[in-house]
Parts: sequence; structure tokens; C-alpha cells
Amino acid sequence: MRVGIEVGGTFTDLVAIDGSRVEVVKVPSTPGNPEIGAFNSLEAAGIEAASVSDLVHGSTVATNAILERKGASVAFVTTQGFRDILFFQRHDRRNIYDLRYKKPAPPLRRKDCLEVAERVDSQGNIVLPLDEQAIRRDLIPALAAGGYQAVAVCLLSAYSAPAHEARVKELINAALPSVQVACSHEVASEFREYERATTTVLSAYVQPVIDGYLARFEATLAKANFAGGFSVMQSNGGRLPSVAMRKNSITALFSGPAAGVVGAIRQAERSGRKDLITFDMGGTSTDVCLVVDGVPSVSPETEVDGLPIRTPVLDIVTVGAGGGSLVWIDDGGMLRVGPRSSGATPGPACYGRGGTLPTVTDAHVVRGTIRADAFLGGTMTLDVDKAHKSFEEVAGKLGISVRDAAAAAIRLAVANIVRAVQLVSTERGRDPRSYALLPFGGAGPLLAAEIAEELGCREIVVPPNPGVISAFGLLAADYVRVASVTRRTALSDDAPTVLREEFQRFREKAETEFRSLGLDGALAFELTAEMRFVGQAFEIPVEIDPARLAGLKPSDLADEFSAAHRRIYFHGGEPGRKVEIVGLRFAVRRRLDSLPDFRERVSRLEHPPEIEVWTPNGAAATALIDADTLAPGRPVNGAAMIEGYSSTLWVPPGWCAERDEPGNIIMRRA
Amino acid sequence: MALDPKSLDPVDYAIISQSLIAAAREMGAKLIRSAYSTVLREARDGSAALLDAKGNTIAQAELIPMQLGTIGHVFQPCTKLYPNETLVPGDFFVINDPYSGGQHLQDVFLFHPIFYDGKVIGFSASVAHHLDVSGGDPGLNIAAPDVYAEGLIIPPLKFNMERDWHGGPFERLLRANVRVPHQTMGDFDAQIAANAIGAQRVVELADRYGAEKIAAVMAALLDYSEARMRAALREIPDGVYTGEDAVDDDGLSDEALPVRATVTITGDQATIDFTGTAPQVRRNLNAPFAATVSAALSCLKAALTSPDIPFNAGAFRPIEVTAPKGSMLNPNHPAPVRARMEVCSRAWNAIMKALSQAVPDKVIACGFDTTTSFVLSHLGESGWSVYLEIYGGGFGAANDTDGCDGVDNPLSNCSNTPVEALDQDFPFFRVVEYALRTDSGGRGRQRGGLGFTRSFEALRDGVRVALYSDRFKLSADGLFGGGEGATGFCEVRRGDTVIKLKSKDAMDLQRGDIVTLGTGGGGGYGDPAERTEALIAENLEDGIISPEVARTWRDAGAAGQGQAGP
Repeated sequence: MRVGIEVGGTFTDLVAIDGSRVEVVKVPSTPGNPEIGAFNSLEAAGIEAASVSDLVHGSTVATNAILERKGASVAFVTTQGFRDILFFQRHDRRNIYDLRYKKPAPPLRRKDCLEVAERVDSQGNIVLPLDEQAIRRDLIPALAAGGYQAVAVCLLSAYSAPAHEARVKELINAALPSVQVACSHEVASEFREYERATTTVLSAYVQPVIDGYLARFEATLAKANFAGGFSVMQSNGGRLPSVAMRKNSITALFSGPAAGVVGAIRQAERSGRKDLITFDMGGTSTDVCLVVDGVPSVSPETEVDGLPIRTPVLDIVTVGAGGGSLVWIDDGGMLRVGPRSSGATPGPACYGRGGTLPTVTDAHVVRGTIRADAFLGGTMTLDVDKAHKSFEEVAGKLGISVRDAAAAAIRLAVANIVRAVQLVSTERGRDPRSYALLPFGGAGPLLAAEIAEELGCREIVVPPNPGVISAFGLLAADYVRVASVTRRTALSDDAPTVLREEFQRFREKAETEFRSLGLDGALAFELTAEMRFVGQAFEIPVEIDPARLAGLKPSDLADEFSAAHRRIYFHGGEPGRKVEIVGLRFAVRRRLDSLPDFRERVSRLEHPPEIEVWTPNGAAATALIDADTLAPGRPVNGAAMIEGYSSTLWVPPGWCAERDEPGNIIMRRA
Repeated sequence: MALDPKSLDPVDYAIISQSLIAAAREMGAKLIRSAYSTVLREARDGSAALLDAKGNTIAQAELIPMQLGTIGHVFQPCTKLYPNETLVPGDFFVINDPYSGGQHLQDVFLFHPIFYDGKVIGFSASVAHHLDVSGGDPGLNIAAPDVYAEGLIIPPLKFNMERDWHGGPFERLLRANVRVPHQTMGDFDAQIAANAIGAQRVVELADRYGAEKIAAVMAALLDYSEARMRAALREIPDGVYTGEDAVDDDGLSDEALPVRATVTITGDQATIDFTGTAPQVRRNLNAPFAATVSAALSCLKAALTSPDIPFNAGAFRPIEVTAPKGSMLNPNHPAPVRARMEVCSRAWNAIMKALSQAVPDKVIACGFDTTTSFVLSHLGESGWSVYLEIYGGGFGAANDTDGCDGVDNPLSNCSNTPVEALDQDFPFFRVVEYALRTDSGGRGRQRGGLGFTRSFEALRDGVRVALYSDRFKLSADGLFGGGEGATGFCEVRRGDTVIKLKSKDAMDLQRGDIVTLGTGGGGGYGDPAERTEALIAENLEDGIISPEVARTWRDAGAAGQGQAGP
């Protein structure tokens, strides 16, 4: 039995697959102790831990530790003269007109920031030797007196010359063995000191939390006679065995959205679809990701709570448009949807928990695409009258009917998501019309057709059980380790040699690590060069097939870079403008031996064969179909609603949906 | 046929307007991300906007407040010379002349018409602060007696991309006149890329919704911002309010240069007049009138309205700004204007002080609110190397918030350049310190933000330092009993001697010299006696204040009264 358990803010999802047996379960999350919800989901699915061969876990534990400031007590050590870099940040404001501006708060105070005398230049030359005496005399007693659990060390230029950092770590380890020390060159070996320092501090901050959580999880599993493999999801879309993740906290942040994208990609591949725009619509936000030839785009950086984290992650754009997004009219009379959300409490008006403001979910209830007695598999009944009532004020201000106001709200929600899609596609020189749209999350399939219309996508691929695709993504994820380094290299004859050396170094390290983790079998490697014209500050990734490294010519790299630059900025640089490589990104991948077969969960609610849905052309008689009964060769023409356990697919008039052999629903214009 | 904005479907209106705003934002991102000079790519000293066919600003990328107020004004002299019906695809306007609506020569504006079905339906616009546009000194000529000495003047001109750029005559003329062409010409390409994407987005919208609807939405967006600005003005009690601040000096004499603002609120309208402001000066501290208008509008926008109001030409309709001709805020040609930000910041402070009488909870105390433009340059074998960075200081405190520490001036929003990026790019100096200045924030119930120091070691002989700054003598005032922020300074340590530089100064350095720039703090808000002991103790632990200042603060509390200044 292979089991994926994804702990989200509200629900904990489980997908268990054993041959043709597929279990899908959603249980409430238990935020104080997330592992309780995880084990509850196993119980709800009737699965014995001892019968599980492969358990993959994703959780919001790391992210929440930062958002709620519940990490370790951490000290920051840096080069003399620079203790304030965490507070300067980039000296700018996110909102330029905010007079009460506050910078994103680092998870420590100024008193926790300490200095050591040393300096290395960008070439790695020592300008000022490390003052070890001062470390013993001043730094270590200060760390001891502060009672810190963890120390983050980030010295200037350590990305190019890590020796001083390594020595500081050695000295602290020797004197204070119980304190965990994170060095910037180990966490994010890239230039730009603020971003690297913050990443290192956050890593040190969440490390003990992740370590403790996974230790408890492992102990509970052991008690239940679990004997399979236990691995944990990362933000880069791969998994790692728990034992490795306990020392690698920073990639555990935001693993949930990444798992969804991986599940979506793997499932779509079975239908031969590899160019995708995925969108995951939940309660408060929507996550969008662009996938080219089966590979999701990767961003070198993300941020949590306004703080940058320098680690390669799946490039997922989030917009504040979810089921709970509020519909409102601003003081200039413009209709708006989001970014504010009704949250978990009171929630949409139709939840009947005291909310009176209209939300996107209420709009669905009004138009009929969410059925009051079929919400969350019928476990929660919605109040249709309250949904209608919530729209009265907005409708009155616009001088239109409640139904038209709800329809307007849905169009605006669609427009918000369309803009997010444009961020990941047109802004990067990709045309969304040549991609299939892949909706998931509880609310995604309800809007997929309307979003596809706006973008001009010809095809929609809906995976089975779209509301729990993240949990499937855990099972579908390969074992992956990523790393990036700054290695500024002019695009001269030496560049291929530098690439080959750096790649070989990563490869040897990765092979040793994966062997020690028991991950034998063939390893696949990926290499990306972050390149720019000399003088620019932002890089463009250029992928390099490691197999080409042997015969690689600098001119090949220059041509590919120029083409990528042209795609994004409309010019490929004047002749003779020099190009450089700034950094390199590596990944090692141990593919799964087999992908488990994912099928729709059987879910039967009593329902009429037909309902009425309000469309722009008036009321439409809409067939109501159980998702698990949809079969190949039996297409369904809209208007239809295809209702499953975790989500409902809206097939508007003029669209046609059909299940294919691999189990996905393919929807096109009829 | 023009569509009546009022006949627009509310959803079309909402979607198209949000798309226009998003397009402007995308333009801004393209501008910064493909730029070459540190001042544009790291400090992000540039802006972008979409204009309607008449040149009204519709939507802007919110990068630098100072550049946002008047893109539409700079456009007017261009369109007067070259009306829309004379334009052909590929044409563009370029202008930097402060006396034709520009701000200072370093800010070069580019406007590209957006064609649809053969007609101009709007313009995409971008402006970037260029590292060097010729003039008497690399990057910054503090001694310029007039605008001619400050750089190449580009009056409103029309060129064509095919004919004049891409190796054409205009590009070659520019290239021949700038000291660091690789960076400057690359930054122009970044502006062109930004304009291209803006045009493409508007055309896509026109494809989807029709050009008439886009024009109607543009008109409606102007009305929308106007309505929201008027709603904000109605909330202020009618009256005449005045405020005053001053620039330290003009760099030649020691005399303070007062800036006086009179704000008159009548219903949903405001007028701001600067009568009483010092006459124009011989050095570069004058602000062309477009810059004055920008500063005034930015202040009202920040103090009075919610941040989500699109800052476009409609928002300015209820506001009138006037300044006497021949004053620092409306100088006569050809007065030099390079350092316009200082007097503009004082105009901002004077308006804020005036508004504090009407809406004390909305305003903040004076911050350091000074643009410190700091240049290190060196002529090596491979030509000039110029480092320019813009520094802020401490923000003023609000009724409920301490001022932000170490952040750019409210009229600006430049990022710092990573020290590690400087280490890579500039072998002739090294940053050796970057630290918050203890005790530099004004005391108060809410304290002012801290200024900071940044120190540079010259690694070669013949490095030249040049700067302009302000508030080296006159500090940032607190509000309602709050104390003043510390003043700024700049000094050079050469062995055992310390050489003080003035706020507008330049000097040749020797290898081993250490230049330290210190920026000042913001003013406090409210009686220091009301600050809680817990906050004082926390600030003391964090080194935000020294034990001596903590003592005076506590004494104020014990005595039950506030005193100004640490």
C-alpha cells in the first residue's frame, strides 16, 4: 500500500493506492498537533500503518512555524560592520505610499545579531583574517549567555569562499555542542547577502521544529509497526527520505502547492498532455503554475511573510482569489473580488456561521454550480437563502439582479485568475493558447471552462479527485535534491570547463548522498545556468542537458540565452554585448519505479437527474452526473455538472467532457 | 464613435481597468529586470505608465512616487509638436528637458504610441534615471551653475525605432555623449522593452473588447480616481493650513532656504501654494515646477487616500498646485535642478505639517526625508567606472507607529545594492560598514526611525566622491511633543585626521581613505513621557537607543513631561 498524506490548513487529505484499490479521504486538520490529523486520516481510510510500504508526507508545519513565529530562539552571526543587514533588508517599501510602513519582521531581534572580525573579497581572497581569539573571547560567551537553540552564520562572500564560515561553525560546535549551527554556504550558496542571510536564519529557525515534528511522526509510526519507507515533500516538487529532511528544513516550506503541481503533471502525462497551465483554487487563494513539456518552471527564490528564501522552488504564482474571496464595491463604485477573504470564520454567507458578506462560493450557490446539499460530499449543508441575501446590497448598488451580481462576481474571480496565468505565461513570453488548462483544488474545476475561454485554451484536463490531487502528488513525486551556487563566469572558452567541473562536483556529492540514503538505481541529473548580459542584475535560466556538457561550446549558450532574452524583453541584445553565467542550479532525481494508478473515488449522493444553473443566457437545464460513472466513449455535453467526492466539474453549455482511458476527464468546446 | 463611460458594463469595466493597471505593473517589472545600471536595476529609480490617446496618465507602475505625478505633463510638449495623426508605427518621443515639463536631465522619458487599426489609442511611457547623461562630472556635477552643465538636454523630440535606434543616428548621438554607454544604452533598451510590453497588452485588450471599450474604460478610470480623491478630500475639515520647513543651504552660502506651503481645503477640492518659499539658488537645488507638482500630489495621496486608488490624471483634477515663478520650486531657465529632491522633500514636509493641523491622525512627523545621492567614480584604463547610490534614512513616527528604520525617502523608493554585488562590480572601493545609528531617531510616544552609516574604503588613488544631501544642519522635526531626529554627516578618515564634508560636496580620495556617510533619523510623535517602559527597555536592549538616552527618556516619563530631542 502506498499512502500520501497532505496536511493543509483546514483539511488533511489522504490518498492510498494498492494496485487497483484507491482510497481517498478528507478529514479535518488538527493545527496544534498536525500529526494527529494525519493519523486520523489513516484510520478513516481503514489503513493499518503496518501495511504501508511507502508513506509520503507533506505539511504546513515549517511554514506555520514562521508565520506564527514559533521557531527556535536563534542568533545571527555575520561579518563585522554588518549586523543590521536583516533589518535594512533592501531599504525599500513594498507599498510606496504607506506612511506607517513596517518592514517584514525577521524572526529575531537586533540584540540577537552578532559580529565577527573577518573579511573576504568576491574572488575569495582574505582581506582580514578571521579573529578566532575574539570568537572564543566574545562571541561564544554571548551565544551561551543568550541561551540560543540555533545559530545562523552568514559572512560576506561566503558563497565564494566558505572557509571562514566553516571555521566559525567548528568553533561554536566545539564550545556549545547542543546548539545547532546553520552556515549560509550550506543553505544557499549564492551572492546577495540579505537574501542569503535571511534564508540561513529562517532555516536555523525552523530546523528544530521540523526535526522534532518528524521525530514524533517517526516514533508514532514505529509504535504502529510501520516498516515501510517514510519520505517528506519539498517545495521543489521532489521528496526526500525523512532522515534527510530532518536536516534540510528550508525546502519543506510550501511543499503543499508543489505536491499539487506534481500530481497534476504526472496524471496529465498519462493522457499525453505535457504543456499545461495548472491552477489550484482553494478557500482563500489560487496557485498557478506553467508546465512546459512536463517540466514545471522553477523560480530561484520564494518568500514567506515578506522574507525572501533563496532556494529553487516550483514557480507558483498565488493570487488572492479563492472560494472565500469577498465580493465588494469600493468607494469609487467599482466591483471588486478579493483579495480579502471571509477566512475560515465566519466563512461565506452560505455556511451559516455568521458571515453576511458575499463570496465567490456564495456566487456559485446563487447560480447553482454549488449544490447546497452536496457540499464536501454532502457532509455540510449550505444555506441558499443566505447566499442570495448576501448579494442584495451589491446588486442594489449596481442596479442589477442578485443572479446577475453573482454572475458578475464569478467573471471577476475568473479575471483575477486569468491575470495570474498571464503572470506565469505571457509575461515570460509563453502563449497560454497552446497549453491545456489543468484545474484542481476544491473550487478549480467549477471555473475551468470560463478561464479557458478567456485565455483561449482549447482543452481542459481534469484529473480524478481534483480536490486531493496534492496527496496524490506526494505519491507521484520523485526523490529530488537541488542545489544552486553563484559562480560568475564570463561566457568565454573557459566557461564549459567551469560548468563541467561544477557539475561533476555536484554529481559526486549527490551520488554519495543518495547511496547513503538507500536510494540506489539510476539517477538523472539536471543543470541550469542562470545567465545575463554583463551589467544586468536579474538572470534568465538556460537549461543545459548534462549529456551535452562534453562538447558544449560557449556560442551555444550565448545563442540560447539570447533567444530567451528576446522572448521576454523583445530584444536579444546588441551585437557584441557580453554575456555571463552568474549561477548554476543542479538537480538530481531518482525516479519512481512505477506510478500508482489513480482513479475516481466512488461517491454516491442521492440527487435529482437534472438541476437548473443560471448562465449568461438564462436558466439552463443541467444534467447532474456522478463523476465515477463517467466512462470513456460516453461524452457528456454541457450544461452538466460532474459531481465527485472532493470537487465538482462545471461543463457549461457548448462544452463537452469525456473520461479517457487513463482516468482523466478531457473537456473541449463541443 | 466614442463610447459613453457610463454605458459600460460594470464587469467589463472592472476587468479592463484591472488589466490596464496590471499591464503598467508588468511594464515596471520589465524595466527593472532588464536594466544594466545599479541605479535602475537595484535602486529601481525608474517608472512606467500607460496614457490615453490625449496623454492623460491612466495607470502607473508604483516604483518611485516622485516620477509618478507628472508623466502626463511631460508628454504635453511632445504631443503639441507631433499630434497623433502625424505619427506612424515605430515613432517614439523622447524628452528630459526640465524646462519643458521634465524633472532633471538624468530622468529621460520615452513615449511610444499604441496603434490599433491604424489609429493611436494610447501611449506607453517609461522614465529611468540614467547613470550618466554627460555634463561636467561623471554621474553628478555638484558645481553646475546652470542646467547646461548638468548634462545633455533633450527637448521634446520624435524619432523612429527603425530609422533612429538600432544603430541609427539618435542612438549613436546618445552613445557618443554618455560616459558609461554599455550601461546607459542598455537601460534605454530596458525602457523600450517596457514600453513594448505595455503596448502589446493594450492591443490584446483591444482585440478582446474593442478599442472603443478600452477608450471608455480609460475615461472611466480617470473619473473613478477623481471620485475617490474627492471623497478623501471631503473628509478633511475646510480651512487654510500652513506649514514650513527648510533646506540646509545651497552649498555656496550657509543660509537656510525656507519652504512654505499653504494648503486650502474647500469641500472636495484642495489648493497648495508655495508662496513664501526661498528664491531660486545658483546651485542645483532648484526643482522644476513638474517636480514640485509631483511632490505635492504624492504627499496628499499618501496622507489622505487608501493605497489602492490608481494614481492617475483623474486623481489630480481636484488639486491645484501653484508656486511663485523664480522661487526654488518654480525656477527660471536655466537654473540647475539636478538635486531637486531636497527642496521637493521639504515641500512634502511643509504640506504634511500643514495637514497635521487638520488631520493629526493621518500624518506623520518629519523623517530624515532626504535623498542622499552618493557617487564614487574612478577613471581606469578601460574608461570610467561610476557607482551611484541613493540613500534614505529614518521615517517620521505616526500617532500609532514608530518610524521605519533605514528606509528610503517617502518621495522615492530606491533599493540598496547588495554589498556583495558592489564587491564584484567595483574593484576601486569596498564597503566596510553598513549599520543603524543608535540614538538617531527622535524621542516621542512613538519614536522616529533610525538613520544609518555606510563606510567605504578607497582601494585606489584617484577615487572621487561626490554627494548631495540635506539635513546635515537642520534636523527632522517631531510632532505633538515628539523630539527631532539626528542630522546627517559625511566625513573622510585619512590616517588620524578626519575631514568633514558638507551636504553638497565633492573630494578626491587617496587609497586607504575611509568615507563614512551618516544619514539622519526621523522625528518622534507625541509626548516622550507617554512611551511605555517596556518599549524603552526593548529599544535599549536592541541598541536602538543608548543608556544615556534611555535615561533622559525615562526622566521625561518621571517628570510627566516631554522634552524635545535626545
